[in-house]
Amino acid sequence: MSKVNTALASELQYYGAKEFSACYNCGNCTAICSLASENNEFPRKMIRLSTLGLENEIESSLEPWLCYYCGECSSTCPRQAEPGELMMSLRRYLTARYDWTGLSRRFYTSEIWELGAIFLLAAFILVLFIFFHGPMTTELTAEGGVKLNTFAPWKTIEIGDWIMAAFLGFFLLSNIFNMYLKVMVRNNNVKIPIKLYFTTLWDLAFNFATQWEFSKSDNKTKIAGKQFNISPYWIMHWLLMSSYVLMLILIMVFLGWFQTDIIYEWWHPQRILGYYATFGLMAGLIYFFYNRIKKEQESGKHSHLSDWVFIVLLALTTISGILVHFFRIYGLPYSTYYMYVFHLMVLFPMLMIEVPFSKWSHLAYRPFAIYFAKVKSAAEKMNSKN
Amino acid sequence: MEQQNELSFDTLVIGGGIAGSEAAINLANLDYKVILVEKDLSLGGKMIHLSKVFPTLDCSACITTPKVSETIRHPNITIYTYSEVKNIVKVSDKKFTATLVKKPRYVNEDLCTGCQECEDKCPVVVKDQYQYDLVGRKAVYVPFSIANPRVVNIDIENCILCGICEKVCPVDAIDFTQEAVEIPLTVKSVIIATGFELFDPTQILRYGFGKFKNVVTAMQMERQLVPTRPYNSVLRPKDGKMPDNIAYILCTGSRDETVGNPICSQICCMYSVKQAQLLLGALPMADVSIYCMDIRAFGKGFCEFYQQSIGMGVEFHKGKVAKVTEKENGNLILRYENIENGKITEVEHDLVVLSIGVLPNPEAKLLFNSPVIESDEFNYIKQTDELVCPPQTNIEGVYVAGTSSGPMDIPDSILSAGAASACSANYIRN
Repeated sequence: MSKVNTALASELQYYGAKEFSACYNCGNCTAICSLASENNEFPRKMIRLSTLGLENEIESSLEPWLCYYCGECSSTCPRQAEPGELMMSLRRYLTARYDWTGLSRRFYTSEIWELGAIFLLAAFILVLFIFFHGPMTTELTAEGGVKLNTFAPWKTIEIGDWIMAAFLGFFLLSNIFNMYLKVMVRNNNVKIPIKLYFTTLWDLAFNFATQWEFSKSDNKTKIAGKQFNISPYWIMHWLLMSSYVLMLILIMVFLGWFQTDIIYEWWHPQRILGYYATFGLMAGLIYFFYNRIKKEQESGKHSHLSDWVFIVLLALTTISGILVHFFRIYGLPYSTYYMYVFHLMVLFPMLMIEVPFSKWSHLAYRPFAIYFAKVKSAAEKMNSKN
Repeated sequence: MEQQNELSFDTLVIGGGIAGSEAAINLANLDYKVILVEKDLSLGGKMIHLSKVFPTLDCSACITTPKVSETIRHPNITIYTYSEVKNIVKVSDKKFTATLVKKPRYVNEDLCTGCQECEDKCPVVVKDQYQYDLVGRKAVYVPFSIANPRVVNIDIENCILCGICEKVCPVDAIDFTQEAVEIPLTVKSVIIATGFELFDPTQILRYGFGKFKNVVTAMQMERQLVPTRPYNSVLRPKDGKMPDNIAYILCTGSRDETVGNPICSQICCMYSVKQAQLLLGALPMADVSIYCMDIRAFGKGFCEFYQQSIGMGVEFHKGKVAKVTEKENGNLILRYENIENGKITEVEHDLVVLSIGVLPNPEAKLLFNSPVIESDEFNYIKQTDELVCPPQTNIEGVYVAGTSSGPMDIPDSILSAGAASACSANYIRN
């Protein structure tokens, strides 16, 4: 039996969906969608479920994660019910539903919680540095660089890294497990052989690394009024994602090599990789800012606070990281130290809030959703054969 | 521009469609002197071009032409076709002034007999707007076979000024020296019957109208179903094949905020049902499918008419068509979500008819100088007192008839014209 939550429509408003009740069920959105397919008909199905307040059905739906917000449905909706924005809001809603701590819901629905948590975690880092930082020496290395590792030894930072990683990993993985329960165990009539989870594992890895489904989305992207056939949205997203992952590997696994006092030649891998990552991040960020400010594409027309927090924090992290690098190699000790502290004050709350509880969790939910959808459809095929 | 002496009438009726003619006849029968100004070359408006009316399937032209003849022959009605009015000013109670602009036809209307000798010889061929671009016409032409007045007109935009028409005309009616004439006008009341415009489906790129030849508008289909039809059969434009699997896409440009027209056009469901029935008669082997969000059969006998079409074998599918793509052979693939089962469906048809909606005529507002005429949120002339006096506008003495105030079907247009003429008579008399 289905449970109806009569307050769902008003609850979804907090997640950004404001217009969907205008829908008159013409089905234009589903038919125009380049990603909707047999078995995965959306967005109208999700609009219907949302209008009726069927939370359990929404909770077990994978469709929101299969949408990449090309915006075709919204721009052609005869009622301007913004189906694309509903899908976006449902991704936020699902992130909150998968999160068993309830924090995600707070962050999405309350500006005070979201901003408060950021400042609190930033203050925590500041306090740690105030009490535990190393000597702030103005003495430079032989090459004329700042002795950053004297101020903040990479070994100590790395310990912090790993504690944080354990924390993030625990919450993210438990939320993914929660997603698995909701999607694959409850509300599921299809019997799924365990074997399928392994045979489709490749889809998970592949989509995690490439977001290939995204590239298929019919993205009539315009930049400065010019139309593109391939999706620059996907390219920019991939550039940002790959840079981000690279950076994450550099600071988590190779921190001792990356955060060094030695000034390498410009062509050295340590610098080249760092430059690629910062370039990718900046390019992606400029694109995302442009999209949200110019509002040319449907995906940029409505910005939730969590969207801004995501790109602003990432931009601050990137810029401060770049500044740390240049202050260090040009021998400006105090600037380096302060900028380094600021860098971590942004980076830490960003990861702590965004990765398990907010927008960045999509890095896990999206590939998992594609993976689960593949497993389900493979299971259905097997069952229909038998 | 020539100036002429002032004309004076009781009522100015703007627009010579079915509503304007009806209003003019009503007033003229009450012995009011009426001036009827029609922008186009002939009276009859849109209705004279239609095949049948719904739900009775009476011949549309057979109802319109007698009415048009009656209008033209009425001693109390003075008609100006191919003319416009502008600068309407309310000077005082029961006194309006306006300027009548008579555009040049380059043909002396009093002399022309409509023999079409000139049309026969004219070397220029352009698209025929009265056949909705299905066939061609000459640069000097009688607008259409049942036009009234049935005189030729020179389309000066496309004319190459070869002078052949002038030479062959047996009555020397061709006159290239004609100029627009402005005539000052004084009247006691005004009736706006400027009608509606049809939605231009090139706005909806994904339906491919203008790009895919076998996507036509309902008005083009209507022309293929009338007795004076261009091909004397129903043919699809791309290759002249008789279609046998026809699709109608309803709500093309109606109930669609993306094209700025959120309201229902009120006639498309029924004219599509009507055309489907006529098609089953014209092409007995053909299948007709109608893709709709819902069928709004709200008038007297409409629902029965709709049921009748189901009985005749017309298929109705619930779901708005999102995309039309063309195959190499000219057939079209329609993609829609079947609302009955939630499945994305693609179907092939060999002819697609877009049931285009009704839009307000934007020119109606521009006729008035002072005071300005108000329009409603959908850009139709505003009915200020819809329940007590529906034809009433914001200017006392100015009344609205027919589709100038909103989408409506033919019987409603005639009703509203009756109301407008009654209000106008009442206003003049008191």
